[in-house]
Amino acid sequence: MAEIDKDSGIIITKDLTKIFNGKAVLEKLSVAIEKGKTTVVIGPSGCGKTVFIKHLIALLRPTAGEIYFKGQRIDDLHERDLGKIRMQMGFLFQGGALFDSATVYENILFPVRQHTNIADRRQLDEIVKSKLAVVGLDGYQSYYPANLSGGQKKRVALARAIALNPEVVFYDEPTTGLDPVRSDVINELILKLKKELGITSIVVTHDMTSAYKISDRIIMLHKGRILADGDAEYIKNHPNDTVRQFILGQVSEADLAALRVSGTKFASQFNPKDFEQ
Amino acid sequence: MVVEQIGASTIATVAETGQFARFIWRSLKSSVSSLFRGKTWPLVFTQMLIIGVKSVPVIMVTGAFVGMTLAFQAYDQLAGMGLGEHIGILINLSVVSELGPVLSAVMLSGRVGGALTAELGTMHVTEQIDAISSMGTDPVRYLVAPRILACLLLTPVLIVYADLMGSFGGYAISVWFFKINSQAYWQFTAYGVTLWDVMVGLTKGFFFGAAIAAISCYKGFNCKQGAQGVGQACTEGFVVSFIAILALDFAAAIISKSLYSIFYPIRSLI
Repeated sequence: MAEIDKDSGIIITKDLTKIFNGKAVLEKLSVAIEKGKTTVVIGPSGCGKTVFIKHLIALLRPTAGEIYFKGQRIDDLHERDLGKIRMQMGFLFQGGALFDSATVYENILFPVRQHTNIADRRQLDEIVKSKLAVVGLDGYQSYYPANLSGGQKKRVALARAIALNPEVVFYDEPTTGLDPVRSDVINELILKLKKELGITSIVVTHDMTSAYKISDRIIMLHKGRILADGDAEYIKNHPNDTVRQFILGQVSEADLAALRVSGTKFASQFNPKDFEQ
Repeated sequence: MVVEQIGASTIATVAETGQFARFIWRSLKSSVSSLFRGKTWPLVFTQMLIIGVKSVPVIMVTGAFVGMTLAFQAYDQLAGMGLGEHIGILINLSVVSELGPVLSAVMLSGRVGGALTAELGTMHVTEQIDAISSMGTDPVRYLVAPRILACLLLTPVLIVYADLMGSFGGYAISVWFFKINSQAYWQFTAYGVTLWDVMVGLTKGFFFGAAIAAISCYKGFNCKQGAQGVGQACTEGFVVSFIAILALDFAAAIISKSLYSIFYPIRSLI
Protein backbone atom coordinates (compact mmCIF):
# COMPACT_ATOMS: atom_id res chain seq x y z
CA MET A 1 0.00 0.00 0.00
CA ALA A 2 1.35 3.43 -0.90
CA GLU A 3 2.53 5.39 2.12
CA ILE A 4 0.65 8.65 2.42
CA ASP A 5 2.18 11.44 4.45
CA LYS A 6 -0.65 12.60 6.68
CA ASP A 7 0.70 16.09 7.01
CA SER A 8 1.32 17.03 3.43
CA GLY A 9 -1.30 17.34 0.78
CA ILE A 10 -3.15 20.07 -0.99
CA ILE A 11 -6.30 19.33 1.02
CA ILE A 12 -6.13 17.78 4.47
CA THR A 13 -8.99 16.79 6.75
CA LYS A 14 -8.43 16.03 10.45
CA ASP A 15 -11.07 13.98 12.29
CA LEU A 16 -13.82 15.32 10.04
CA THR A 17 -17.18 14.50 11.62
CA LYS A 18 -20.65 15.43 10.37
CA ILE A 19 -23.85 14.64 12.21
CA PHE A 20 -27.29 15.11 10.60
CA ASN A 21 -30.28 14.72 12.95
CA GLY A 22 -28.34 12.71 15.47
CA LYS A 23 -26.94 10.35 12.85
CA ALA A 24 -23.21 10.47 12.14
CA VAL A 25 -22.81 10.61 8.36
CA LEU A 26 -19.03 11.10 8.57
CA GLU A 27 -16.98 9.90 11.52
CA LYS A 28 -13.46 11.15 12.28
CA LEU A 29 -12.23 11.11 8.70
CA SER A 30 -8.58 12.03 8.37
CA VAL A 31 -7.38 12.21 4.80
CA ALA A 32 -4.55 14.01 2.97
CA ILE A 33 -5.27 14.57 -0.73
CA GLU A 34 -2.09 14.66 -2.84
CA LYS A 35 -1.48 17.49 -5.25
CA GLY A 36 -1.52 16.70 -8.95
CA LYS A 37 -3.08 13.27 -8.47
CA THR A 38 -6.58 11.90 -8.99
CA THR A 39 -8.23 10.59 -5.83
CA VAL A 40 -11.42 8.59 -6.26
CA VAL A 41 -13.90 8.17 -3.40
CA ILE A 42 -16.15 5.13 -3.74
CA GLY A 43 -18.81 3.64 -1.54
CA PRO A 44 -22.43 2.53 -1.36
CA SER A 45 -25.21 5.09 -1.87
CA GLY A 46 -25.81 7.10 1.27
CA CYS A 47 -22.36 6.42 2.77
CA GLY A 48 -21.53 10.12 2.84
CA LYS A 49 -19.40 10.52 -0.33
CA THR A 50 -21.19 13.65 -1.57
CA VAL A 51 -21.32 15.07 1.98
CA PHE A 52 -17.55 14.50 2.23
CA ILE A 53 -16.72 16.20 -1.04
CA LYS A 54 -18.97 19.18 -0.23
CA HIS A 55 -17.01 19.69 2.99
CA LEU A 56 -13.77 20.06 1.00
CA ILE A 57 -15.15 23.12 -0.80
CA ALA A 58 -16.89 24.32 2.39
CA LEU A 59 -20.43 24.06 0.99
CA LEU A 60 -21.08 22.18 4.22
CA ARG A 61 -19.45 22.85 7.59
CA PRO A 62 -18.29 20.01 9.84
CA THR A 63 -19.84 19.25 13.21
CA ALA A 64 -16.28 18.57 14.41
CA GLY A 65 -12.83 18.35 12.89
CA GLU A 66 -10.75 20.59 10.65
CA ILE A 67 -10.21 21.03 6.94
CA TYR A 68 -7.11 22.64 5.45
CA PHE A 69 -6.55 23.86 1.90
CA LYS A 70 -2.88 24.53 1.13
CA GLY A 71 -2.16 24.78 4.81
CA GLN A 72 -4.95 27.28 5.52
CA ARG A 73 -7.91 26.25 7.64
CA ILE A 74 -11.13 26.68 5.64
CA ASP A 75 -13.94 25.10 7.65
CA ASP A 76 -14.31 28.11 9.94
CA LEU A 77 -13.81 30.83 7.33
CA HIS A 78 -16.51 33.41 6.69
CA GLU A 79 -18.30 33.11 3.33
CA ARG A 80 -16.71 36.34 2.16
CA ASP A 81 -13.19 34.98 2.66
CA LEU A 82 -14.05 31.66 1.10
CA GLY A 83 -14.57 33.40 -2.23
CA LYS A 84 -10.82 33.67 -2.83
CA ILE A 85 -10.25 30.04 -1.84
CA ARG A 86 -13.05 28.82 -4.10
CA MET A 87 -11.57 30.61 -7.10
CA GLN A 88 -8.83 27.98 -7.00
CA MET A 89 -11.37 25.18 -7.04
CA GLY A 90 -13.91 23.90 -9.51
CA PHE A 91 -16.93 21.73 -8.73
CA LEU A 92 -18.78 19.58 -11.23
CA PHE A 93 -22.23 18.85 -9.79
CA GLN A 94 -24.07 15.62 -10.47
CA GLY A 95 -26.66 17.18 -12.79
CA GLY A 96 -24.31 19.83 -14.11
CA ALA A 97 -26.17 22.66 -12.33
CA LEU A 98 -25.99 24.92 -15.38
CA PHE A 99 -28.07 28.10 -15.26
CA ASP A 100 -31.16 27.31 -17.35
CA SER A 101 -31.95 30.84 -18.43
CA ALA A 102 -28.44 31.52 -19.77
CA THR A 103 -26.66 30.23 -22.86
CA VAL A 104 -23.57 28.01 -22.72
CA TYR A 105 -21.51 31.15 -23.43
CA GLU A 106 -23.05 33.06 -20.50
CA ASN A 107 -22.69 30.05 -18.21
CA ILE A 108 -18.97 29.67 -18.84
CA LEU A 109 -18.36 33.40 -18.51
CA PHE A 110 -20.15 33.62 -15.14
CA PRO A 111 -17.07 33.03 -12.95
CA VAL A 112 -14.92 35.13 -15.31
CA ARG A 113 -17.28 38.11 -15.07
CA GLN A 114 -17.63 37.77 -11.32
CA HIS A 115 -13.93 37.62 -10.49
CA THR A 116 -12.04 39.41 -13.26
CA ASN A 117 -12.33 42.80 -14.90
CA ILE A 118 -11.95 41.51 -18.43
CA ALA A 119 -14.36 43.48 -20.58
CA ASP A 120 -12.88 43.01 -24.03
CA ARG A 121 -15.39 41.00 -26.04
CA ARG A 122 -12.76 39.21 -28.14
CA GLN A 123 -10.82 38.15 -25.06
CA LEU A 124 -14.00 36.78 -23.48
CA ASP A 125 -14.87 34.93 -26.69
CA GLU A 126 -11.37 33.42 -26.68
CA ILE A 127 -11.74 32.19 -23.12
CA VAL A 128 -15.08 30.52 -23.82
CA LYS A 129 -13.79 29.02 -27.04
CA SER A 130 -10.70 27.56 -25.40
CA LYS A 131 -12.62 26.08 -22.46
CA LEU A 132 -15.21 24.52 -24.77
CA ALA A 133 -12.38 23.18 -26.96
CA VAL A 134 -10.90 21.37 -23.94
CA VAL A 135 -14.19 19.50 -23.48
CA GLY A 136 -14.75 19.09 -27.21
CA LEU A 137 -17.82 21.30 -27.51
CA ASP A 138 -16.54 24.36 -29.38
CA GLY A 139 -19.37 25.74 -31.48
CA TYR A 140 -22.08 25.23 -28.86
CA GLN A 141 -21.77 28.76 -27.43
CA SER A 142 -25.30 29.87 -28.19
CA TYR A 143 -27.10 26.71 -27.05
CA TYR A 144 -29.32 26.71 -23.98
CA PRO A 145 -28.87 23.91 -21.41
CA ALA A 146 -32.35 22.62 -22.18
CA ASN A 147 -31.19 21.80 -25.71
CA LEU A 148 -28.18 19.77 -24.61
CA SER A 149 -28.00 16.07 -23.86
CA GLY A 150 -27.00 14.84 -20.39
CA GLY A 151 -23.43 14.19 -21.44
CA GLN A 152 -23.12 17.57 -23.14
CA LYS A 153 -24.48 19.33 -20.05
CA LYS A 154 -21.80 17.69 -17.90
CA ARG A 155 -19.08 18.68 -20.34
CA VAL A 156 -20.26 22.30 -20.42
CA ALA A 157 -20.44 22.25 -16.61
CA LEU A 158 -16.85 20.98 -16.58
CA ALA A 159 -15.81 23.79 -18.94
CA ARG A 160 -17.43 26.25 -16.52
CA ALA A 161 -15.68 24.63 -13.55
CA ILE A 162 -12.26 25.13 -15.17
CA ALA A 163 -12.98 28.65 -16.48
CA LEU A 164 -10.69 30.28 -13.93
CA ASN A 165 -7.94 27.62 -14.30
CA PRO A 166 -8.38 26.10 -10.85
CA GLU A 167 -5.83 23.86 -9.19
CA VAL A 168 -8.39 21.42 -7.81
CA VAL A 169 -11.55 20.08 -9.42
CA PHE A 170 -14.21 18.07 -7.58
CA TYR A 171 -16.48 15.71 -9.52
CA ASP A 172 -19.75 14.48 -8.00
CA GLU A 173 -20.63 11.25 -9.83
CA PRO A 174 -19.54 12.50 -13.26
CA THR A 175 -20.46 9.37 -15.20
CA THR A 176 -23.79 8.55 -13.53
CA GLY A 177 -26.58 8.42 -16.07
CA LEU A 178 -24.27 8.38 -19.08
CA ASP A 179 -23.85 5.55 -21.58
CA PRO A 180 -20.50 3.66 -21.57
CA VAL A 181 -19.04 5.66 -24.45
CA ARG A 182 -19.96 9.06 -22.98
CA SER A 183 -18.67 7.85 -19.60
CA ASP A 184 -15.34 7.11 -21.23
CA VAL A 185 -15.29 10.61 -22.73
CA ILE A 186 -15.55 12.03 -19.21
CA ASN A 187 -12.82 9.63 -18.00
CA GLU A 188 -10.54 10.78 -20.81
CA LEU A 189 -11.26 14.42 -19.96
CA ILE A 190 -10.32 13.88 -16.29
CA LEU A 191 -7.07 12.20 -17.37
CA LYS A 192 -6.39 14.98 -19.88
CA LEU A 193 -6.86 17.72 -17.29
CA LYS A 194 -4.38 15.98 -15.00
CA LYS A 195 -1.80 15.43 -17.71
CA GLU A 196 -2.01 18.77 -19.51
CA LEU A 197 -2.94 21.16 -16.74
CA GLY A 198 -1.67 19.35 -13.63
CA ILE A 199 -5.09 19.58 -12.01
CA THR A 200 -5.71 17.69 -8.76
CA SER A 201 -8.98 15.79 -9.12
CA ILE A 202 -11.22 14.36 -6.44
CA VAL A 203 -13.90 12.16 -7.93
CA VAL A 204 -16.90 10.65 -6.16
CA THR A 205 -18.32 7.73 -8.09
CA HIS A 206 -19.64 4.23 -7.93
CA ASP A 207 -18.58 3.41 -11.48
CA MET A 208 -15.71 0.98 -10.85
CA THR A 209 -14.52 0.94 -14.48
CA SER A 210 -14.13 4.69 -14.31
CA ALA A 211 -12.46 4.47 -10.90
CA TYR A 212 -9.80 1.97 -12.05
CA LYS A 213 -9.09 3.97 -15.21
CA ILE A 214 -8.62 7.41 -13.75
CA SER A 215 -7.44 6.91 -10.20
CA ASP A 216 -4.05 7.23 -8.60
CA ARG A 217 -5.66 6.45 -5.27
CA ILE A 218 -9.03 4.96 -4.29
CA ILE A 219 -10.67 5.56 -0.93
CA MET A 220 -13.72 3.51 0.01
CA LEU A 221 -16.15 4.97 2.51
CA HIS A 222 -18.58 2.79 4.42
CA LYS A 223 -20.95 4.08 7.10
CA GLY A 224 -18.96 7.29 7.42
CA ARG A 225 -15.53 5.70 7.91
CA ILE A 226 -12.67 4.80 5.60
CA LEU A 227 -12.80 1.07 4.91
CA ALA A 228 -10.02 0.88 2.30
CA ASP A 229 -7.40 3.29 0.99
CA GLY A 230 -4.85 2.54 -1.70
CA ASP A 231 -4.19 2.37 -5.42
CA ALA A 232 -6.30 0.40 -7.90
CA GLU A 233 -4.28 -2.84 -7.55
CA TYR A 234 -4.55 -2.77 -3.76
CA ILE A 235 -8.32 -2.26 -3.86
CA LYS A 236 -8.85 -5.03 -6.43
CA ASN A 237 -7.13 -7.50 -4.10
CA HIS A 238 -8.51 -6.18 -0.84
CA PRO A 239 -9.33 -8.95 1.69
CA ASN A 240 -12.38 -7.29 3.28
CA ASP A 241 -15.72 -8.85 2.23
CA THR A 242 -17.66 -5.59 2.07
CA VAL A 243 -15.05 -4.07 -0.22
CA ARG A 244 -14.98 -7.12 -2.51
CA GLN A 245 -18.78 -7.23 -2.74
CA PHE A 246 -18.92 -3.56 -3.62
CA ILE A 247 -16.26 -3.63 -6.32
CA LEU A 248 -17.65 -6.81 -7.86
CA GLY A 249 -21.24 -5.62 -7.60
CA GLN A 250 -22.61 -8.54 -5.60
CA VAL A 251 -25.46 -8.58 -3.13
CA SER A 252 -24.57 -10.10 0.26
CA GLU A 253 -26.23 -13.35 1.40
CA ALA A 254 -28.12 -11.60 4.18
CA ASP A 255 -29.70 -9.08 1.78
CA LEU A 256 -30.46 -11.85 -0.75
CA ALA A 257 -32.36 -13.81 1.90
CA ALA A 258 -34.45 -10.75 2.66
CA LEU A 259 -35.39 -10.47 -1.02
CA ARG A 260 -36.84 -13.96 -1.25
CA VAL A 261 -40.62 -14.35 -1.22
CA SER A 262 -41.88 -16.47 1.69
CA GLY A 263 -41.51 -20.19 1.01
CA THR A 264 -38.90 -21.49 -1.43
CA LYS A 265 -37.03 -19.06 -3.59
CA PHE A 266 -38.83 -20.40 -6.64
CA ALA A 267 -42.38 -19.91 -5.36
CA SER A 268 -44.38 -17.87 -7.83
CA GLN A 269 -47.39 -15.77 -6.97
CA PHE A 270 -49.56 -16.68 -9.90
CA ASN A 271 -50.48 -20.08 -11.33
CA PRO A 272 -51.06 -20.64 -15.06
CA LYS A 273 -54.69 -21.51 -14.39
CA ASP A 274 -55.25 -18.04 -12.90
CA PHE A 275 -55.03 -16.66 -16.43
CA GLU A 276 -57.52 -19.05 -18.05
CA GLN A 277 -60.74 -17.44 -19.24
CA MET B 1 -46.19 12.85 24.44
CA VAL B 2 -48.20 15.98 23.72
CA VAL B 3 -45.78 18.10 25.75
CA GLU B 4 -42.94 16.60 23.73
CA GLN B 5 -44.64 17.56 20.49
CA ILE B 6 -45.45 21.07 21.61
CA GLY B 7 -41.88 21.47 22.84
CA ALA B 8 -40.43 20.15 19.61
CA SER B 9 -42.57 22.36 17.40
CA THR B 10 -41.82 25.43 19.55
CA ILE B 11 -38.09 24.79 19.24
CA ALA B 12 -38.49 24.29 15.49
CA THR B 13 -40.43 27.55 15.13
CA VAL B 14 -37.86 29.53 17.09
CA ALA B 15 -35.03 27.98 15.07
CA GLU B 16 -36.82 28.83 11.82
CA THR B 17 -37.42 32.41 12.97
CA GLY B 18 -33.73 32.72 13.82
CA GLN B 19 -32.67 31.35 10.46
CA PHE B 20 -35.06 33.73 8.71
CA ALA B 21 -33.78 36.70 10.73
CA ARG B 22 -30.19 35.87 9.76
CA PHE B 23 -31.22 35.57 6.11
CA ILE B 24 -32.97 38.97 6.22
CA TRP B 25 -29.93 40.58 7.84
CA ARG B 26 -27.62 39.10 5.22
CA SER B 27 -29.96 40.17 2.39
CA LEU B 28 -30.35 43.71 3.67
CA LYS B 29 -26.60 44.08 4.11
CA SER B 30 -26.07 42.84 0.54
CA SER B 31 -28.83 45.09 -0.79
CA VAL B 32 -27.37 48.19 0.81
CA SER B 33 -23.84 47.41 -0.42
CA SER B 34 -25.23 46.58 -3.86
CA LEU B 35 -26.68 50.08 -4.10
CA PHE B 36 -23.14 51.39 -4.29
CA ARG B 37 -21.68 48.80 -6.66
CA GLY B 38 -22.16 49.59 -10.31
CA LYS B 39 -21.82 45.95 -11.31
CA THR B 40 -25.09 44.85 -9.72
CA TRP B 41 -27.33 47.52 -11.26
CA PRO B 42 -27.95 45.60 -14.55
CA LEU B 43 -29.27 42.72 -12.41
CA VAL B 44 -31.52 45.13 -10.51
CA PHE B 45 -32.86 46.66 -13.72
CA THR B 46 -33.71 43.21 -15.11
CA GLN B 47 -35.65 42.42 -11.96
CA MET B 48 -37.36 45.80 -12.07
CA LEU B 49 -38.63 44.98 -15.54
CA ILE B 50 -39.98 41.61 -14.46
CA ILE B 51 -41.34 42.65 -11.08
CA GLY B 52 -42.42 46.21 -11.75
CA VAL B 53 -43.09 47.01 -15.35
CA LYS B 54 -44.89 43.77 -16.10
CA SER B 55 -47.10 44.10 -13.01
CA VAL B 56 -48.53 47.50 -13.96
CA PRO B 57 -51.58 46.26 -15.93
CA VAL B 58 -52.70 43.83 -13.25
CA ILE B 59 -52.18 46.39 -10.49
CA MET B 60 -54.23 48.94 -12.39
CA VAL B 61 -57.07 46.45 -12.78
CA THR B 62 -56.91 45.68 -9.06
CA GLY B 63 -57.07 49.35 -8.17
CA ALA B 64 -59.95 50.02 -10.56
CA PHE B 65 -62.10 47.22 -9.16
CA VAL B 66 -61.39 48.28 -5.58
CA GLY B 67 -62.50 51.83 -6.27
CA MET B 68 -65.61 50.82 -8.20
CA THR B 69 -66.79 48.24 -5.67
CA LEU B 70 -66.25 50.60 -2.76
CA ALA B 71 -68.22 53.35 -4.49
CA PHE B 72 -71.06 50.96 -5.25
CA GLN B 73 -71.33 49.62 -1.72
CA ALA B 74 -70.86 52.93 0.07
CA TYR B 75 -73.33 54.99 -1.91
CA ASP B 76 -76.51 53.55 -0.38
CA GLN B 77 -75.27 54.05 3.18
CA LEU B 78 -74.18 57.64 2.60
CA ALA B 79 -77.10 58.69 0.44
CA GLY B 80 -79.47 57.33 3.11
CA MET B 81 -77.89 59.77 5.60
CA GLY B 82 -77.97 62.61 3.09
CA LEU B 83 -74.18 62.54 2.88
CA GLY B 84 -73.98 61.32 -0.73
CA GLU B 85 -71.55 64.01 -1.74
CA HIS B 86 -69.08 62.99 0.97
CA ILE B 87 -68.51 59.77 -0.90
CA GLY B 88 -65.35 61.32 -2.34
CA ILE B 89 -63.55 61.35 1.00
CA LEU B 90 -64.58 57.82 1.84
CA ILE B 91 -63.41 56.30 -1.40
CA ASN B 92 -60.20 58.24 -1.86
CA LEU B 93 -59.08 58.06 1.75
CA SER B 94 -59.73 54.31 1.89
CA VAL B 95 -57.98 53.69 -1.39
CA VAL B 96 -54.95 55.86 -0.70
CA SER B 97 -54.26 54.88 2.87
CA GLU B 98 -55.37 51.23 3.10
CA LEU B 99 -56.93 49.46 0.14
CA GLY B 100 -54.49 50.61 -2.49
CA PRO B 101 -51.31 49.63 -0.64
CA VAL B 102 -52.58 46.42 0.94
CA LEU B 103 -54.37 44.96 -2.06
CA SER B 104 -51.53 45.88 -4.42
CA ALA B 105 -49.11 44.19 -2.05
CA VAL B 106 -51.27 41.06 -1.93
CA MET B 107 -51.52 41.02 -5.72
CA LEU B 108 -47.74 41.38 -5.96
CA SER B 109 -47.24 38.69 -3.36
CA GLY B 110 -49.25 36.28 -5.47
CA ARG B 111 -47.76 37.26 -8.78
CA VAL B 112 -44.16 38.14 -7.97
CA GLY B 113 -43.72 36.24 -4.71
CA GLY B 114 -44.84 32.96 -6.20
CA ALA B 115 -42.56 33.41 -9.21
CA LEU B 116 -39.54 34.27 -7.02
CA THR B 117 -40.05 31.27 -4.76
CA ALA B 118 -40.52 28.92 -7.71
CA GLU B 119 -37.48 30.26 -9.57
CA LEU B 120 -35.12 30.22 -6.60
CA GLY B 121 -36.59 26.96 -5.29
CA THR B 122 -35.94 25.22 -8.60
CA MET B 123 -32.41 26.62 -8.65
CA HIS B 124 -31.93 25.26 -5.12
CA VAL B 125 -33.10 21.72 -5.93
CA THR B 126 -30.96 21.56 -9.10
CA GLU B 127 -27.89 22.71 -7.09
CA GLN B 128 -27.51 25.91 -9.12
CA ILE B 129 -27.31 27.96 -5.90
CA ASP B 130 -24.56 25.65 -4.59
CA ALA B 131 -22.86 26.08 -7.98
CA ILE B 132 -22.86 29.86 -7.54
CA SER B 133 -21.30 29.46 -4.06
CA SER B 134 -18.74 26.99 -5.39
CA MET B 135 -17.59 29.56 -7.95
CA GLY B 136 -16.79 32.03 -5.19
CA THR B 137 -19.84 34.30 -5.54
CA ASP B 138 -22.27 35.01 -2.72
CA PRO B 139 -25.69 33.76 -3.97
CA VAL B 140 -27.50 36.17 -1.64
CA ARG B 141 -25.69 39.12 -3.19
CA TYR B 142 -26.14 37.82 -6.74
CA LEU B 143 -29.73 36.55 -6.60
CA VAL B 144 -31.54 37.94 -3.58
CA ALA B 145 -30.27 41.53 -3.29
CA PRO B 146 -31.36 42.61 -6.82
CA ARG B 147 -34.82 41.14 -6.24
CA ILE B 148 -35.26 42.82 -2.87
CA LEU B 149 -34.05 46.15 -4.24
CA ALA B 150 -36.36 45.95 -7.23
CA CYS B 151 -39.39 45.02 -5.11
CA LEU B 152 -38.62 47.60 -2.44
CA LEU B 153 -38.19 50.46 -4.89
CA LEU B 154 -41.05 49.63 -7.23
CA THR B 155 -43.86 48.68 -4.87
CA PRO B 156 -44.54 52.33 -3.95
CA VAL B 157 -44.59 53.22 -7.65
CA LEU B 158 -47.08 50.43 -8.32
CA ILE B 159 -49.18 51.66 -5.40
CA VAL B 160 -49.36 55.03 -7.14
CA TYR B 161 -50.86 53.31 -10.17
CA ALA B 162 -53.32 51.42 -7.97
CA ASP B 163 -54.34 54.58 -6.12
CA LEU B 164 -54.84 56.40 -9.41
CA MET B 165 -57.08 53.72 -10.87
CA GLY B 166 -58.94 53.31 -7.57
CA SER B 167 -59.63 56.99 -7.47
CA PHE B 168 -60.74 57.03 -11.08
CA GLY B 169 -62.89 53.91 -10.65
CA GLY B 170 -64.60 55.45 -7.63
CA TYR B 171 -65.15 58.69 -9.56
CA ALA B 172 -66.60 56.83 -12.52
CA ILE B 173 -69.18 55.00 -10.43
CA SER B 174 -70.04 57.95 -8.16
CA VAL B 175 -70.30 60.69 -10.74
CA TRP B 176 -71.29 58.90 -13.95
CA PHE B 177 -73.47 56.20 -12.43
CA PHE B 178 -74.89 57.69 -9.25
CA LYS B 179 -74.88 61.23 -10.59
CA ILE B 180 -73.09 62.83 -7.66
CA ASN B 181 -72.01 66.37 -8.36
CA SER B 182 -68.45 66.24 -9.70
CA GLN B 183 -67.24 69.47 -8.13
CA ALA B 184 -68.61 68.50 -4.73
CA TYR B 185 -66.96 65.10 -5.08
CA TRP B 186 -63.48 66.54 -5.58
CA GLN B 187 -63.93 69.37 -3.06
CA PHE B 188 -64.76 66.98 -0.29
CA THR B 189 -61.88 64.73 -1.39
CA ALA B 190 -59.40 67.60 -1.26
CA TYR B 191 -60.66 68.52 2.17
CA GLY B 192 -60.30 65.04 3.63
CA VAL B 193 -57.36 63.46 1.87
CA THR B 194 -54.03 65.07 2.71
CA LEU B 195 -50.49 64.52 1.45
CA TRP B 196 -49.77 62.78 4.73
CA ASP B 197 -52.29 60.03 3.91
CA VAL B 198 -50.79 59.48 0.48
CA MET B 199 -47.24 59.40 1.84
CA VAL B 200 -48.12 56.93 4.58
CA GLY B 201 -49.59 54.66 1.93
CA LEU B 202 -46.46 54.88 -0.22
CA THR B 203 -44.09 54.39 2.71
CA LYS B 204 -45.97 51.26 3.65
CA GLY B 205 -45.22 50.11 0.13
CA PHE B 206 -41.46 50.07 0.84
CA PHE B 207 -41.94 47.70 3.73
CA PHE B 208 -44.47 45.53 1.94
CA GLY B 209 -42.16 45.18 -1.05
CA ALA B 210 -39.16 44.27 1.09
CA ALA B 211 -41.22 41.75 3.07
CA ILE B 212 -42.63 40.05 -0.03
CA ALA B 213 -39.21 39.72 -1.66
CA ALA B 214 -37.38 38.62 1.50
CA ILE B 215 -39.96 35.99 2.45
CA SER B 216 -40.27 34.61 -1.09
CA CYS B 217 -36.51 34.42 -1.57
CA TYR B 218 -36.02 32.78 1.83
CA LYS B 219 -38.63 30.13 1.06
CA GLY B 220 -36.99 29.45 -2.29
CA PHE B 221 -33.50 29.10 -0.81
CA ASN B 222 -34.68 26.70 1.86
CA CYS B 223 -37.26 24.56 0.12
CA LYS B 224 -37.25 20.79 0.39
CA GLN B 225 -36.16 18.58 -2.48
CA GLY B 226 -38.29 17.78 -5.48
CA ALA B 227 -41.28 19.30 -7.21
CA GLN B 228 -43.39 18.87 -4.09
CA GLY B 229 -40.84 20.82 -2.07
CA VAL B 230 -40.94 23.74 -4.48
CA GLY B 231 -44.75 23.75 -4.56
CA GLN B 232 -44.98 23.64 -0.79
CA ALA B 233 -42.48 26.49 -0.51
CA CYS B 234 -44.56 28.63 -2.91
CA THR B 235 -47.71 28.07 -0.89
CA GLU B 236 -46.01 28.79 2.42
CA GLY B 237 -44.29 31.81 0.92
CA PHE B 238 -47.57 33.35 -0.19
CA VAL B 239 -49.34 32.67 3.11
CA VAL B 240 -46.52 34.07 5.23
CA SER B 241 -46.15 37.13 2.93
CA PHE B 242 -49.87 37.80 3.20
CA ILE B 243 -49.85 37.62 7.00
CA ALA B 244 -46.71 39.77 7.09
CA ILE B 245 -48.41 42.40 4.92
CA LEU B 246 -51.43 42.52 7.21
CA ALA B 247 -49.25 42.68 10.33
CA LEU B 248 -47.06 45.43 8.86
CA ASP B 249 -50.19 47.32 7.83
CA PHE B 250 -51.50 47.19 11.38
CA ALA B 251 -48.14 48.32 12.78
CA ALA B 252 -48.04 51.14 10.23
CA ALA B 253 -51.52 52.28 11.25
CA ILE B 254 -50.47 52.54 14.90
CA ILE B 255 -47.16 54.24 14.11
CA SER B 256 -48.62 56.74 11.63
CA LYS B 257 -51.41 57.71 14.02
CA SER B 258 -48.90 58.31 16.83
CA LEU B 259 -46.60 60.30 14.57
CA TYR B 260 -49.52 62.35 13.29
CA SER B 261 -50.70 63.27 16.77
CA ILE B 262 -47.16 64.25 17.73
CA PHE B 263 -46.58 66.44 14.69
CA TYR B 264 -50.13 67.78 14.14
CA PRO B 265 -49.86 70.62 16.68
CA ILE B 266 -46.64 71.87 15.11
CA ARG B 267 -47.85 71.42 11.51
CA SER B 268 -48.19 75.12 10.91
CA LEU B 269 -44.59 75.67 11.90
CA ILE B 270 -43.18 73.19 9.35
